[in-house]
Amino acid sequence: MTMTAVPFADAGLPAVRVQRQTPSGRIALTLALAALVALVAMPWWASTGTIRWILELCCYLAVAQMWNLLAGYAGLVSVGQQAFMGAAGYALFVLAQTYGINPFLAVFLSLLVPAVLAVPTYFLLHRLEGPYFSIGTWVVAEVFRLVSTNLPLVNSGAGMSLRVMKDYSAFERNVAMSLLCATLLLVTLGGSYWLLRSRFGLALIAMRDNPVAAASQGVQVGRLRFLIYVAAAVGCGLAGAIYFMAQLRITPGSAFDPMWANLAIFIVMVGGIGSIEGVLIGTLIFFVADRWFGEYGASYFVVLGLMTLAVALYARTGIWGAIARRWDAPWFPIGRRLIDPQQGTKGETR
Amino acid sequence: MSAVLSTHGLVARYGDFQALYGVDTELGAGECVALIGANGAGKSTFLRAVMGLLPVAREMVRLDGEPVGGTAPDRMVQKGVAIVPEGRRLFTGMSVEDNLRVAIDQAARAAGKAGARAGGKGGWTLKRVHDLFPILAEKARTPVQSLSGGQQQMVAIGRALLCQPRVLLCDEISLGLAPKVIREIYAALPEIRAAGTAVILVEQDVGLAQSASDRLYCMLEGRVTLAGKSAEISRAQIGEAYFGVGHAVA
Amino acid sequence: MQWLDALIQGVLLGGMYAQYALGMALMFGVMRIVNISHGDLVILLSLIGISLASAFGLGPLPVLVALVPLAVLIGFVLQKTVLNRVVGNDPLPSLIATFGLSIALQNLMLQIWSANSRSLPGYGLESRSIEIGGIYIGLLPVIVLAVATGLTWGLDLMLKRTRFGRALRAAAADVEAAAMTGIDPRAVYALATAAAVGILGFAAVFQALRSTVAPADGPAQLIYAFEAVIIGGMGSVWGAFIGSMVLGISQAIGFRIDPGFGVLAGHIVFLFVLATRPQGLFGRA
Repeated sequence: MTMTAVPFADAGLPAVRVQRQTPSGRIALTLALAALVALVAMPWWASTGTIRWILELCCYLAVAQMWNLLAGYAGLVSVGQQAFMGAAGYALFVLAQTYGINPFLAVFLSLLVPAVLAVPTYFLLHRLEGPYFSIGTWVVAEVFRLVSTNLPLVNSGAGMSLRVMKDYSAFERNVAMSLLCATLLLVTLGGSYWLLRSRFGLALIAMRDNPVAAASQGVQVGRLRFLIYVAAAVGCGLAGAIYFMAQLRITPGSAFDPMWANLAIFIVMVGGIGSIEGVLIGTLIFFVADRWFGEYGASYFVVLGLMTLAVALYARTGIWGAIARRWDAPWFPIGRRLIDPQQGTKGETR
Repeated sequence: MSAVLSTHGLVARYGDFQALYGVDTELGAGECVALIGANGAGKSTFLRAVMGLLPVAREMVRLDGEPVGGTAPDRMVQKGVAIVPEGRRLFTGMSVEDNLRVAIDQAARAAGKAGARAGGKGGWTLKRVHDLFPILAEKARTPVQSLSGGQQQMVAIGRALLCQPRVLLCDEISLGLAPKVIREIYAALPEIRAAGTAVILVEQDVGLAQSASDRLYCMLEGRVTLAGKSAEISRAQIGEAYFGVGHAVA
Repeated sequence: MQWLDALIQGVLLGGMYAQYALGMALMFGVMRIVNISHGDLVILLSLIGISLASAFGLGPLPVLVALVPLAVLIGFVLQKTVLNRVVGNDPLPSLIATFGLSIALQNLMLQIWSANSRSLPGYGLESRSIEIGGIYIGLLPVIVLAVATGLTWGLDLMLKRTRFGRALRAAAADVEAAAMTGIDPRAVYALATAAAVGILGFAAVFQALRSTVAPADGPAQLIYAFEAVIIGGMGSVWGAFIGSMVLGISQAIGFRIDPGFGVLAGHIVFLFVLATRPQGLFGRA
């Protein structure tokens, strides 16, 4: 796949080109690459404290984008992605702490657990219609929590600590965390962007707009949904493993905290569902709100809840939806525009 | 002529797709008008727009001269317009009798609300519907999904009649049925009209439409291309209007 | 004997769950909506009931008499202000809206009533029991089961025999066709939600009498109601009732095996039913 214009010609038709990148997109892509470099270089410019909150921010972004992929494109409204975060987190602790595997290797090995668990979970839950699917995902997360509470392998309800991290110096840990953050964003955000621009992207967008029509156009809706579900489980797993590695401690309550679902839904709905730009905007808003108003506890969450409600009632496309209606300057263009050299833009798919 | 139902420059669209381009029609009291045309000519869309299932401007549809365009379907029923919808749309899982009772319930509710004004003079009762289609009495307890297509169509007609309409809209009631069953169903039409109900028949079968109606409209690509007395219109005229032969196709 | 006891306790517990499940089955059946704040509404009503009882020294029955109409009103307002705007083919808006409402409600309750667990004084009702053949059966759970049975029976009869019930079933089968038969879907929806939340008024009183309630308890009640509905099979109120019994029995037997296994046993039976009989025990395939 190329980022530049692809020549497109057909017998008898005027020569048109398919344009896939826009000026705003080039700027955003440059900024994204710069951010990625800054992320990797964190140990040389940021304090350990800064790295920690940036890591948290990266986890929010990743989890929110995974939820966006599920709910915004595949039509799978999950409220139980914490199941896979906790599962990978626990897998990391068991592999590194109990079996003594290098923790930085174990982060990636632990991703097998959410991948494997997502398969039977999907096949059980996809039988449930719309809203019932959602609550089903929540039940699965609860099952994981209760199993971990009763499982001696993970020290039951008492939880586990990642003491092996003490073997590494603070600088070594910072380097690892920075690399992991960059990997996380590259996999979840970059991966989504790549997916949406690939040939699956058109199918996904068709599915988002109308699953029945997409199916009749040859999109294998069922298979695509399954793949997205497993991919999102792995993405959330990676976020979970990195998050809990930084926390150094995991308990059933923290591992399978429904808070992650709240956060993902808030970020995506307020930012704008079905777009990567929305996730970035939503995460920024949530993060700032959390820093400024987090201390107000319950009343802060009342406002958060009411905002989510208000978006669902009055502004389903969120902030990015409102922006995109006014200015046609996507940061991450996924559409294809037909350019007629004589007349300019002819038509597009978005 | 005092029209009970009329449309004036009726325009309707599905999203970006415009399906009707200014349709003018008139239905006199007690009259039976047929609406014919090829697939996709806009016949069903016309009925949906009249019934309030598609957004249309207020002035585009008039009932007894009163602008009613875009009124919600349940309010249209209360005002005396009922529809036998395309595909019958029965309440699956419910018995024949319960399907009919839903209409009786709502008509009674509307009558209670507005006095005797809203309902038609038809005075349709369960018994009269049973007299019209005796099989429905026999199958009263049967779930509608296990009926034959013709029987289901009878339930759909019975249900619409029990709404006590002054205007009955019928969307392709012969579709997919055997000729014998179609005759049986069309045999009910005189009795329905005798009750003072005006009827709009949307029909694919031109011969059937022509013989059953007083007047007919032929539609093509969202426009009326022919209107006139059914008995006076020739086959050739219909063919021309139906297929757009001789018309500049937009 | 121990297992017979577990079975009986399970059925009695199922009576409690049935009071949650009925409303959910009704709302999903008619509107294809799941109200995520379903459990939070129970807790909200419980806490209001507890506050009423302590402020005016009311017994359980007057609290019930006050709460059910309040619940009906809440349901009606919920439908008019929120759910009518999000009902439709796409499940996302209704899920997100009620999800946001759930978070707001939980935290609002936390602010008003604090995180403490509370219960409704039963004036001795909660400790009375009957002994049958060496098994002690609490009077209160028996009342709960009796009320649940009565509500299920009444709801079923209402759906089958009344004008409103027929309108509800018609709207559930084909909402557009229902509108074309003179039914105002929004009016039917509002009444359905009012009935569903009204039943939660009963659940709120009995939940607060049987055990304790705290602002964070709602999600668990939502999940139990959901499991009962799916186990029983969608589309029938008796299905939801039987599903509640199966869930209650599973939890009670699981609890006997290991106290930490009770709730998990219920989840496992739910997943097992989902794997082997996705239409539910009483659902049509």
